[in-house]
Amino acid sequence: MLEKATEREQLAEQILDVIVSEGKIDRTKVTPEATLESLEVESMDVVMILMAIEQKFGVYIPIDGGIAEATDVTNFVENVAERILASRG
Amino acid sequence: MQAVGDAPRTRVVVTGMGAVSAAGLGVEALWGAALAGRSGVREAELAREGPNRVKIAAQVSGFRPEEFIDAKLLPYCDRFTQFAIVAADQAVAQAGLSERCPLGSRAGVTVGTGAGGITTIEELCFTDFVLKGRIDPMAVPRVMISAPASHIGIRYGCTGPTFVVSSACASGAQAIGMAVQLIRAGAIDRAIAGGAESTITALNIRAWETLRVLTPDCMRPFSIGRNGTVLGEGAAVFVLESEAAAYRRGAISLAEIAGYGTSSDASDIVRPDSDGAVAAISGAIADADLDPEDISYVNAHGTGTIANDITETEALGRVFGSALRRLPVSSTKPIHGHTLGAAGAIELAITIMAMRSQIAPPTINWLGPDPKVGLDPIPHEARPVPIRAALSNSFAFGGINACLVVVPPQ
Repeated sequence: MLEKATEREQLAEQILDVIVSEGKIDRTKVTPEATLESLEVESMDVVMILMAIEQKFGVYIPIDGGIAEATDVTNFVENVAERILASRG
Repeated sequence: MQAVGDAPRTRVVVTGMGAVSAAGLGVEALWGAALAGRSGVREAELAREGPNRVKIAAQVSGFRPEEFIDAKLLPYCDRFTQFAIVAADQAVAQAGLSERCPLGSRAGVTVGTGAGGITTIEELCFTDFVLKGRIDPMAVPRVMISAPASHIGIRYGCTGPTFVVSSACASGAQAIGMAVQLIRAGAIDRAIAGGAESTITALNIRAWETLRVLTPDCMRPFSIGRNGTVLGEGAAVFVLESEAAAYRRGAISLAEIAGYGTSSDASDIVRPDSDGAVAAISGAIADADLDPEDISYVNAHGTGTIANDITETEALGRVFGSALRRLPVSSTKPIHGHTLGAAGAIELAITIMAMRSQIAPPTINWLGPDPKVGLDPIPHEARPVPIRAALSNSFAFGGINACLVVVPPQ
């Protein structure tokens, strides 16, 4: 269990790195409650973030579905992490 | 709206229809699939392996252009043009015009397409950049976006206004709308009008998926759990005539194209805006001299994406008010795929068949209501509906909107 939790945390950290670099976000502003709107992440930024996620983790995530429902960063990261873990079986 | 004292406006009727789609050849095949909720979405068969992760599409399988198009002509025709020619042949035959060619200067051709000869472009790139081989010397006439209009004009001797309309996913509806306006204006008596598209290549699927709007598994318009659209290909072509011209030659009218509304959001290149959609829907209904309560079926644009389905529902709500909850609205895209520039034409064919049959086709793959949408999408199964007037919506990337209203012929 502990190993799984750590793997997920590491993954979340890696996803956050991608969001910060592709979304051109100031890392210090990224708090768990920060909304994508407050960080000025627009739909085209999400497209670029998901492109980078695909290159890094090899998983195709459409912009519709769960991602579209995510309003804050934590939610977004969790959604992406779940899909990456699901693709790993 | 017609002012008192104006001469009665020229009515424009449909006297022939043709289609090529994932359901097969002909409008009957398309309508049969729409009615039964039989999807043409399959694992895509591609010319070569590519970088695409999305593996599904609604393709026209087993299409043999050589059965319809002369061997000498075929090298000039990209697949989208082949579809347009075959659909036009069906429409002209149904209209009873095959023996009356050349149709002459009072006949025009308008065809909508979003991407033109993209299949040929991909072949060119692969042959030249990768294989370093000899490229197709017919590439230019194959690629040119106006090719289907020219070929149809040559085939039937239409020497009137002939052009292609390109406005992404609104192309087909705009091409038909333009033909209606040309006939009403008295510039021509008849037109061969429709839409054609063929973009199912590995690279093009990849291009669409990098926009993240393709579903990797299942297209579910207006449903919870929807996660994008599926690319389709095909064509639908109509013979449109002034009521007087059709009457003079004793042609049978299948429907009247009573209203056409078009608008541009003029705001965002990829994000739709409900103001523009409302203007196009309201414009089409007013152009038909009808009120919103006269519309009894809507064939929605319904792409299964978050952006379209919410904006389209919002627009329909603004036009139809609380009556929207009872208004049958369906998206047939999970059947024939999103055929982009052909969508407005293919979906008009279905809308006309729905009105003629008095049955609204279903929205398949529906899992349940999305609280953010809240309309009746005729889930799973077709439903008998008295249809006096029907609306077909097309909303495009680039913010261009086009809607058509059909009524039974008088």
